[in-house]
Amino acid sequence: MNLFEIKNLQKHYDVKKGLFAKPTTIKAVNDINFHVKKGEVLSIVGESGCGKSTTAKLLMTIEEPTGGEIFFEGKDITKLSSNELKEYRKKVQIIFQDPYSSLNPRWNVGKIIAEPLKLNTNLNDKEIKEKVLTIMKKVGLKEEWYERYPHQFSGGQRQRIGIARALVLEPEVIICDEPVSALDVSIQAQVLNLLLDLQEEFNLTYVFISHDLSVVEHISDRIIVMYFGDIVESDNVETLFANPQHDYTKQLLGAIPKIEF
Amino acid sequence: MLLEVKNLVTCFYADEHVNRAVDNVSFSIPEGKTVCIVGESGSGKSITSLSIMGLIEKPGVVESGEILFEGTDLLKSSQKHMRSVRGAKISMIFQEPMTSLNPSYTVGYQLDEVLKLHQSHLSKKERYEKVIEALKLVGMPYPEEKYNEYPFKLSGGQRQRVMIAMAMTCEPKLLIADEPTTALDVTIQAQVLELMSKLQKEKGTAILFITHDLGVVAGIADEVVVMYRGHVVEKASAKELFSDPRHPYTKALLNSIPTPGKVKRKSRLETVDENIDYLQFPKEIR
Repeated sequence: MNLFEIKNLQKHYDVKKGLFAKPTTIKAVNDINFHVKKGEVLSIVGESGCGKSTTAKLLMTIEEPTGGEIFFEGKDITKLSSNELKEYRKKVQIIFQDPYSSLNPRWNVGKIIAEPLKLNTNLNDKEIKEKVLTIMKKVGLKEEWYERYPHQFSGGQRQRIGIARALVLEPEVIICDEPVSALDVSIQAQVLNLLLDLQEEFNLTYVFISHDLSVVEHISDRIIVMYFGDIVESDNVETLFANPQHDYTKQLLGAIPKIEF
Repeated sequence: MLLEVKNLVTCFYADEHVNRAVDNVSFSIPEGKTVCIVGESGSGKSITSLSIMGLIEKPGVVESGEILFEGTDLLKSSQKHMRSVRGAKISMIFQEPMTSLNPSYTVGYQLDEVLKLHQSHLSKKERYEKVIEALKLVGMPYPEEKYNEYPFKLSGGQRQRVMIAMAMTCEPKLLIADEPTTALDVTIQAQVLELMSKLQKEKGTAILFITHDLGVVAGIADEVVVMYRGHVVEKASAKELFSDPRHPYTKALLNSIPTPGKVKRKSRLETVDENIDYLQFPKEIR
């Protein structure tokens, strides 16, 4: 069974351009259908404004869809009660693009990673600390950094903190919204390696949002190409890269800077 | 040689601590060619370009070295001379086109300003025509309308086109481009890069291109300078560097990129080892 089944998903925003102007509708996500299989890496690619991040927000229930359904393990998450929604949010976590603005600068690492446990479990302080330290080790953060604050870390290390926070509730799915776009290539490689290792170890499913096609080719099983709120093409990585069908996909693949000599 | 940088040292002072951001860097730029400086954040590539422009401010100091532009040492030049060089003979474009354009003036006003400063003999009408011509040159749609627009109304790619137009109006000998396409989408990046090489061919401008993206380097560079922790670790023609990288740092950097077709999917990528000081290896200057 598919983990996610997305049917006719829609997110329209009404934007007023003046006080008495008629609102115009921006179709950020326009009637899209796709599914996510358990244990796979599904990437959503496209340029800024194509609706890929809106799709991520809809899956995370940060935004409410204006139409359509999102089935997770057979249940429509747009119709869940608040208790059921809490359970859902434990299973689906997110890591963000910018490791600078997605961590609270006034909290130390220990507190940042412990927060999801405090909100969602009945563990006592000692158990929480143990769990946090285990997960820190898993993502390559040293134990003695427990008391440190985000500004004392490099970009790559901060992204590791973000990954630890997403991982601590042992989710089934992690939505990765441009997780390596803000990082240097060598740090990017470290984080990609970590994501691949963690996926193997915990049998995770990733929905990977990115505009970098080289990264996407490396990490994904399947790819969805979005353009102005629509899905224009979706296929296995090998097929899509070898034989792109839609003009926009061809353009996108053609624009990847290549190292060939 | 159009520009020769010799043994440049730029330091930043913080209390008792001295940070040698650029440490004994030498390279040169031939006329009409593109030289790329690549390196990770903190490698000193941007500080090198700011040193050339004479834009290092306290607590930073250019300690020693020479920057010879058309034979004159810019480090020994007066402020007045530097002002006549900057924008006219050497101009610069930056990564974030939104923050480097003034949000409260129109595109036209900002382009006009460059000509007012550097080509004061032109009449108002001549300047207007030159600005429109510059906007046409960078492929801006509806240049006459865009002249009166404010920067916020333009897309990222269009803003970068305005920046390039501004940098190119005085037909500089050298264009310094500091990560000009990093904030842009790939398809827009491809357009901007194409525009830059088109202008280079037409005007014979030399380009110093600063980037961390080796894919971009491969596309545009004649010569490549690899920087690591303030030092140049490898210098070679683009062809030599990519077909036969010699310095361990360059190799690690190249191997950390997931290249479709070359690196096996889902394999673990090589990384730059943070525990290794790559400066221990001999420099590879070709």
